[in-house]
Order: sequence, then structure tokens, then C-alpha cells
Amino acid sequence: MDIDQARGPDVGASAMADPGVARRSAPTRKRRKSRTGLAFIAPFGALFLLVFVVPILYAAYLSLFQERLVGGTTFAGFANYGKLIQDPQFWDGVARVVRFTLIQVPIMLIFAMAVALALDSMRVHGTRFMRVTIFLPYAVPAIVSTLMWGFLLGIKYGLFGSLNDALGTDINPFAPGTTLISIGVMVTWAFTGFNMLIFYAALKAVPRQLYEAAAIDGANEFQIVRAIKLPALRGSLVVTIIFSIIGTFQMFNEPQILPSMVANSGVTTFYTPNLYAYHLAFTGSQQGYAAALALVMAAITIAVAYAVQIRGLRNATDQ
Amino acid sequence: MRLSRKTRLLSAVLAPMLALTACSGGSGGSGGKTGGGTGGGDEQVKLTVWSWDGTVAEAVAGFQSANPNIKVQVANAGSSQDEYQALDNAIQAGSGVPDLVMFEYFAVPYFAIPGKLADLGEFGVDKLKADYVPASWSDVTVNGKVYALPSDYGPSAMFYNKATFDKAGIDKAPVTWDEYYEDAKKIRALGPDYYIAQDTGDIFFLLSLIWQAGGRPFKVDGTKVHIDFTDPNTTRAVAFWQKLLDEKLLNTKITGWSDDWNRALNDGTLATQTMGGWLTSTLPERAPKASGDFRVALMPQWTQGDKVGAANGGSSFGIPAAAAHKDAAFKFLEYFAHGGGLSSRVDAGAFVPNTTVLDNEAFQSKVNKYFGDQKVGAVLAEATEIVGTGWQYPPFFEWARTIYTDIASPFYTTGKGSLAGILQQWKQRCVQYGNEQGFQVD
Repeated sequence: MDIDQARGPDVGASAMADPGVARRSAPTRKRRKSRTGLAFIAPFGALFLLVFVVPILYAAYLSLFQERLVGGTTFAGFANYGKLIQDPQFWDGVARVVRFTLIQVPIMLIFAMAVALALDSMRVHGTRFMRVTIFLPYAVPAIVSTLMWGFLLGIKYGLFGSLNDALGTDINPFAPGTTLISIGVMVTWAFTGFNMLIFYAALKAVPRQLYEAAAIDGANEFQIVRAIKLPALRGSLVVTIIFSIIGTFQMFNEPQILPSMVANSGVTTFYTPNLYAYHLAFTGSQQGYAAALALVMAAITIAVAYAVQIRGLRNATDQ
Repeated sequence: MRLSRKTRLLSAVLAPMLALTACSGGSGGSGGKTGGGTGGGDEQVKLTVWSWDGTVAEAVAGFQSANPNIKVQVANAGSSQDEYQALDNAIQAGSGVPDLVMFEYFAVPYFAIPGKLADLGEFGVDKLKADYVPASWSDVTVNGKVYALPSDYGPSAMFYNKATFDKAGIDKAPVTWDEYYEDAKKIRALGPDYYIAQDTGDIFFLLSLIWQAGGRPFKVDGTKVHIDFTDPNTTRAVAFWQKLLDEKLLNTKITGWSDDWNRALNDGTLATQTMGGWLTSTLPERAPKASGDFRVALMPQWTQGDKVGAANGGSSFGIPAAAAHKDAAFKFLEYFAHGGGLSSRVDAGAFVPNTTVLDNEAFQSKVNKYFGDQKVGAVLAEATEIVGTGWQYPPFFEWARTIYTDIASPFYTTGKGSLAGILQQWKQRCVQYGNEQGFQVD
């Protein structure tokens, strides 16, 4: 289907050779212009259809079917959606990522912003080194970082094991009640640098004259931060919040790997919606149900992200 | 700017769906290529074999020189679940279906019941039955038909650290579970880190315990599955293990196959592992420092004087119903799992349930240096021959064992509840899921 779409402009080109077309020259030129435009966006359009629209439509199509080991695949209408709405395991996962987002994202962004402001203040030495170092964790694959933190936080042979021995405490970072906090630490470690870079770039774009003017007006560093830098960060704050919400709503790697390292960390097969979808599709062979879950989760994420964007932009125009 | 941000947002949100659809494939469309293909004749046949058992490749050269018209290509399509997914996808897509595929025993019914595996009866497989340990044959038999040939076996055995036993003043391996319980207390007394074993909710272990005690919690008949964890044999096994957990005689912090586990095996603080015989090959890699300390014994018995065993793991090879070269595939299967190619695999370390190998004098008398020059083969051969027959796995076991952890985890972390309660809950979930999947489960 998408291939036909891509060929569209070619068909138009051969039609132009038709002598009959030449008679109606004025509208043709106009159409030709738009056709040329189409030809330019065709490669993008074809890829967009192929890797973006078609898979979504296909997921939507799949979500209308139910697979059974006995009896095969049957059309189920919206039964998967009905079942999903009443599935406590799904909502348990959703509630967990929402809770996680509400706590982890603000901490991470405040942290990233503080670092960006510090780097931008020109009062720290080795700015470039610091920038790269803080960004580095972002380049570590989540699987590697989870393994690393697993060792670090492990109570048997890890750092916390030694700490507990030294202090006589009994803290377990991977008990069912604390695992989510540990994952929060891992995620914050990994993504602070990324968000810091976005903030830092926004700060670099602030015209230097503003600072000079502020200095002439006698503003101190904190006043400059409050009156110039923080307002300048508002736009990128919206972006980072949206990215972070999407990222945490899709949490998968950490809860997927942890159970093989730590016993009974409280991570269930439905710990996050993505993990649940994975288990439904690949161990439960319920692809239709998993597709429904993915679509509903996408709808929730889009709704939340849009709400943030609209609010963020409204505030931006207020000022 | 706005638009691009929006598109990026969308693409980030929808990325997992792409992954999902990429893997699920269309429905139907298998059928297609059926029939025998060519086994004899001059025509060249290219066989594709999916295996994560490295020893299968050992048999290829010998087979090809005996059958010059068949070319065998052994590929690793992932282990266990990864491979099953790949096979399901290939069958759904109707292309790229391999001719011969490795399955753990519990996965055989999953593929056999929906008709995805060829019935090996048409190749005269029944003639081979007498050459296999009975329990392994029942593992590949579903509703009276044979769908795979056993290729390796995991008789449950007790691996114990003799050095730790000596330290605790225990002079011999426990023969009954009662003795095991007494030994557990002695080892616990050695120090805060010392335990006779670990358990963080290992369903395969618990089932092997039930299996040995005579419980048969799953009964599969056609698409009917009956689940019962309340018969006296099952409850006896469960109650025993519950007692060890209640008295804190087991380490519930260390999970099998983790780094912590390796360390504990190395330093001798975990005194025993009751597991499949395959541990023989991986233990030396995981616990090199304990070289010479470990010994192998039969599982402790429920009744003094009995000799009953259970299995824990093992695998087999079957031919997909949609395979292109079934005759040639069976020919190779017979060769490496039963005929001329078997010895090359045994030499490479495979532990097979073939009586010809197990009864072999050379196999039984070979000493293993890691296990203090013990004749490990003799112990495992005996453990294999005493495995209780009639055990069945439900066709949705892969799913069931994954969610078992969800249910068991709260008990192992808080101590609230009981194993019996977990199994009851597990049964309910299995009943619900099984019925949704079109089985009649009760």
C-alpha cells in the first residue's frame, strides 16, 4: 500500500507527457508544482508510513483478536480492551510508573538544572571535563548500568553489604519496598547528564548582553538566575519533562534484569506496563491483549505529555 | 520546531508497539509446505537444525559422510523461550521453519497439542522406545503419540560439599529427607552464612520434590488439564519443605544462577544443591575454588530403603509439522539421539537417557576429578533409571512458571502465607489462563 503511495508522483510525471494535459496549462502548472513538492517528501512519506503508521494500524488490528493455544486466533472486537480496563495487574503497573514519575522526575530535573546552572556560572573549574563526566552515564547501556548498580547495591557482596557490616544496619536496597527507590537512583544517575545538556544548551543561547545589563543594574548572581536564567529554561523544561515522562512510563530494562540478579526484589511480571506487555506477548502468547495494552498505554502517555505541553506553553506565553 | 517535537514525542511513545508488532507476525498461513521431502535419492537436501545444545554439532560430520546428499546446518536460535518465540513466529509467518528443533521437555506439549509438531509415529519411532529410560519416553509422549526424541536428561541428584559436611561433623550424605533435615540443622549451626541449600521460589525444584514423593499434580488428557496440589504425596513433600523454610534452615536471600550463588558455592556456605544432573558440567565453571569438595549422591528418599527419583530439566528434539524435509530430519535425529552419532555427543559431555549409554561399563567407571575422583556417571545413571514415571507438564507451563514467581515472592520476602497457599493460588491462575487459552482446566 505504501509503495503505491510512493509511486504516486511518478505516475503523475508520465501523465504530464499526455498531450491532452498541455491544453489546460494554467492549472497543470499549479498541480505540477504541488506534485514536485510531493515528490520531495515522498521518501519521507514512504518511510513514515512503513515504519510508523503501518505498525500502529497493525497493532490496532491485532488488538481486536484473541489468540488461543487451542482454537487459534479469533476476532474478539473490543474484548481485549474491556478485559484490560478491568485488569488489576495492568493498573498496578500504571500506578507504579505514575508514582515513580511524580517523585523521580522532579528530583532528576532539579538536579540536572542545578548542575547546568553551576556549569554555566563560569565559576567552576574544568567545566568541559565535568560536562562530559556527568553526561557519560547516559552512554552506558541500561543493561550494563543495571548490572553495575545491582552489584553496588547488593547486600551480600556489594557495597551495601559492607556498609551494613560496618554500621550494623540491615538496609536492603532490593527489598520489595525499596526496589523502586533503587531503580529511581539508577535512572537518575543515567539521565541527569542528558537533561543537564539540554538545560546547558538553553543557557548558552541566552544573549550575553542580558547579563551585562543585569550587572550594570547591580544584580547579584542569584538575581540573575531568578530573573534571566530560570525563565530562559522554561521551554527546555517542558521538553525534558515530556521526555522524562515518556521514558519512565516505558520503563523496562531495569525491572527485566533485576530478578535474575537479586532474589525476591518484589519485581513482578507486571511491574511496569511495558514489562507486562512483554510477558503477555512472549510467555503468555497473547499478542492481541499485549497490543491493546500498548495502545492504551500510548494513549495515556500521549494524554499526559500533551497536558504538560499545553500547560507549559500557556505559562510561557503568560510571561 | 513544534511539529518536529510532536513527531519525536509520538515516535518515542509508540516505539514499543513497533517492537511488539514486529514480533507477532500474521495469523494462519502455515500449512503450505507439508509432506516428506526427500531423504534418499540423489537430490541435495539442506537441513536446518535449531539447537542450543553444542554437542549436536559433533554428530554432523559423521552423518554427512554417511549421507552425502544431506547437508546439515546447525544454528543456535537462542535458548529456551527465545527459541520457542522464534519458532512460533516462523510457523505463523509460514517461512523459515527449521526441520529439527530443540525443546525442553515441558515445552513439548505446548507445541504438540496445537498440532505444530509432526507425530514421529509415521517414522516408526516406537521401535526405539526400549532403548530409552521410561520416564524420558513419557516426557516426549503427548496423548499417546511421540512428538520428539529425548536428547539429554536431567535426573535429579544431590550435589553436596563434602568439606562443609566434614566441618559440620556429618560423615555421610543423607539417605532420607529426615536425615537431610537433621543435617540442615547441623550445617546451620556452623555460622550465620551456612545453609544446607537456598530457595527463593524455585518451582522446578519444588516440583521435583513433589514428583519424587509420588505426587502428579498435572494430568493432561487431550485438551483437558486437571491440576491438584492436595493429594497426600504432594502435601507431604510441600509440608517438608515448608518446615525447612519455617525453621530458617534455607537461605532465602541467594537466588540460583546469580553471582551471589556462585560465590556461595565457591566458599562452601551452601552445602547442597538438589538439581538436575546437568549441574555436573556447569559446577566446575561456577565453583572452581571448590574443586575436589563436591560429591554427587541420589536424592534423599522419603522412605528408608526406597529408591525413587525425579527429573529436573532435560531436552529433546522434534520436527515441526511445517518442516520441509521431515524424512531427512528424522534420519539425522535418529543418528545423533540414538544411532551412530550418539557416542560423539556423549564424549563431548552430553548426558543422555539412552540405556545403551547408561549401562555402558566405560561410562559408569569413568572418574571425575572435580568431584574428588568419584564415578559420577554411575550415580547419575542410577538416578536416571529410578526416575518416577507418569509425570506430566501442562501445555502452558512456560507461562505458568513465569507467574509462579509473582505469587511466591511475597511469601519468600515476608514469610507470610505458606507454600500450600501459593500452590493453591497458582492453580487458580492456571485454571483461569488455561480456560482462556481454550483448554478445559480444573
